[in-house]
Amino acid sequence: MGRLDGKVAFVTAAGGAIAGATARLFGAEGAAVCCVDIVEDNVGQTASDINEAGGKAIAIPCDVTDDDAIKAAVDKTVSEFGKLDVCFNAAAYSEKRHRLAEMPLDMWKSVIDVNLTGMFIVARHVIPEMQKAGGGSIINVSSIYGVVGAKERPAYCAAKGGVRMLSKSIAVDYAEDKIRANSIMPGPIETPRLLVRNPSIEAVIERHGTRLHQKRLGKPEEIAQTALFLASDESSFTSGADMVVDAAYTAF
Amino acid sequence: MGMLDGKAAFVTAAGGGIAGAIARRFGAEGAAVCCVDVVEETVAKTAADIEAAGGKAISKICNVADEEAVKKTVDDAASELGLLNVVVNAAATSEPLHTVANMPLEVWQDVLDVNLTGMFLVAKHAIPHMQAAGGGQFINISSTFGHIAWPQRPAYMATKGAVRQLSKSIALDFAEDNIRANSILPGAIETNRLLSRTPTMEQVREKMVPLHPIGRLGQPEDIANAAAFLASDESSFMTGSDVFVDGGFTAV
Amino acid sequence: MGRLEEKVAFVTAAGGAIAGATARQFGEEGAAVACVDIVEENVKETAADIEAAGGKAIAITCDVTDEAAVKDAIDKTASTFGKLDIVFNAAAFPDPLLPLHELDLDIWRKTFDVNITGMFIVTKHAIPHMLEAGSGSFINISSIYGARSARKRPAYCSSKGAVRMLSKSIAVDYAEHNIRANSILPGPIETPRLLVANKNMDDVIERHRPHLPAARLGQPEEIAQTAVFLASDESSFMSGNDCFVDGAYNAL
Repeated sequence: MGRLDGKVAFVTAAGGAIAGATARLFGAEGAAVCCVDIVEDNVGQTASDINEAGGKAIAIPCDVTDDDAIKAAVDKTVSEFGKLDVCFNAAAYSEKRHRLAEMPLDMWKSVIDVNLTGMFIVARHVIPEMQKAGGGSIINVSSIYGVVGAKERPAYCAAKGGVRMLSKSIAVDYAEDKIRANSIMPGPIETPRLLVRNPSIEAVIERHGTRLHQKRLGKPEEIAQTALFLASDESSFTSGADMVVDAAYTAF
Repeated sequence: MGMLDGKAAFVTAAGGGIAGAIARRFGAEGAAVCCVDVVEETVAKTAADIEAAGGKAISKICNVADEEAVKKTVDDAASELGLLNVVVNAAATSEPLHTVANMPLEVWQDVLDVNLTGMFLVAKHAIPHMQAAGGGQFINISSTFGHIAWPQRPAYMATKGAVRQLSKSIALDFAEDNIRANSILPGAIETNRLLSRTPTMEQVREKMVPLHPIGRLGQPEDIANAAAFLASDESSFMTGSDVFVDGGFTAV
Repeated sequence: MGRLEEKVAFVTAAGGAIAGATARQFGEEGAAVACVDIVEENVKETAADIEAAGGKAIAITCDVTDEAAVKDAIDKTASTFGKLDIVFNAAAFPDPLLPLHELDLDIWRKTFDVNITGMFIVTKHAIPHMLEAGSGSFINISSIYGARSARKRPAYCSSKGAVRMLSKSIAVDYAEHNIRANSILPGPIETPRLLVANKNMDDVIERHRPHLPAARLGQPEEIAQTAVFLASDESSFMSGNDCFVDGAYNAL
């Protein structure tokens, strides 16, 4: 008996580490999962992992900033699995570090497009399906940098602050439709993406210094577990909340 | 002897109620003020008020979402005033009410462009002038709806949440340049803008005053007082702060 | 296989609605539970319920403000069940509704004694056992009034704000020992206590309606489910968080 039996989930960035772990956990807990990512190979891998483990999944390569493509992906999910009642919104673009004055406008726009407008686009197409299903749960991945500032990441910080309030807006407007919306604010999580700009995970831990109290990074599975709680009916009175999953990084 | 003697301020939306009051107060406190707006008449009126009161002001027409125009306006303001070390970012659209599901993408984009990207652009081109001046202050107008939600304003709230994080990002990244950045989160302020959705101020009061423990709507001068403090050296240890000027709205 | 298999929990106010539901849920998920309350009858009933359902429980009558009694209760828990790894801190004083200048110092002190000093005492004596066990999780019940204010409840609101910071303090200080601490901020929950100041539950909903997008009261079981998540290893990277479980109350 899984904690998401009977549910259908739409997971963006499902080819990545965090959303991939989440999609696999959702599948293991009984949900049918539509895995969405812009990179076809990765998302196909996540979906086949779920299917091999005995779950139900489909993969759809899709860009979250493409309104028509997202609508088509949502429609396909519903035609495949009959409904849609969980949405895990994780697609994010991590830009090169710049202080604001050196950041090209195009870079700013692409970060806002993917990290904020992408979530809006996904939400506007899943909400009508959730209304038809009689309710739903939207889980938007913000960041601790939606709560506190990060050095040389003006666009990322702005977008993640925007995500946090977007969740609350959905929570307030769709409470009557029994649609819940919450944000997860992960602290530093151990993903391959970190190694793009850092020589090693140890270097990342070193860089974060004293706020990383346990001297370790979070694991994608720890975000996935939080998402599972928010997707399930166990969190039925939780909406508009900021789930900070950071081992007290921002409490300090 | 004014509290802003020797400062030169760039104030967007200076033809409007809140930023107009800020510009006039800055002028009265000894700052030279560049009043900026998309509407020529109102911004010229603000500048004329400042001059009539014995202050120094110029006015400029500029759409803050247009990068070229912003750069030219900021550069011209700095050369005409001799320096530029204070920016008040107040431009915001007054979008129609929508939920996420029924808001057209164009409306969402428009709100983001003006409320958020416009702020980024002004900041981007003002920072070099502040560095040349040896420091400066940003006063970014967020909203109580950047902290708590309100029905049917998803884009507005997303941007106002984003504004807070943008201020923090600037605060962190330019602290070494002696540049400070703070957000003001106003409650309901008695301006004509409130009449865009409610026919009379009496009806606005009926609806909004009970939500403000202080028992009245805010006046533009209440925000101008906070802005003058944040622009002055009296607030020299304040940066990255969320300054709520909301009559207790978010405390209840 | 329960989600709290092999764990030992200490639950204060376990004779009450919220902590009672939590204790029963902990028992169902496999934890051995020490049920603690100042009212002997109620706490015995909770423990009996757990045992009747096939779980393991003991009942301890104890005033959380009595340090010697608390130490005994905790030591007894550890000696009975072999260790201690979860503490659910829920004891709170039923404060009278009074504005600050009409509130007797005695009542102020009593409220703080139970709501926050009691939590300190329980925590203080639980930590050595958690250090010995190599890990632990504190779940401290704050309130939405630890984030927003309520009329005529100065002591309650202050103490619940204090709870949040106490949790964060524990989170930061003991992170390196793998001890986590989080606050739950419940919205209005349907418990008999609400009927002290209200005629019936409909009145409560009506009174809260402007701030309660979910348009219903929460159930004690919904807080209990959140507590299970925070008690389990599923939340292993979560510490110092404010978990709002409030039907989007705090989002509006």
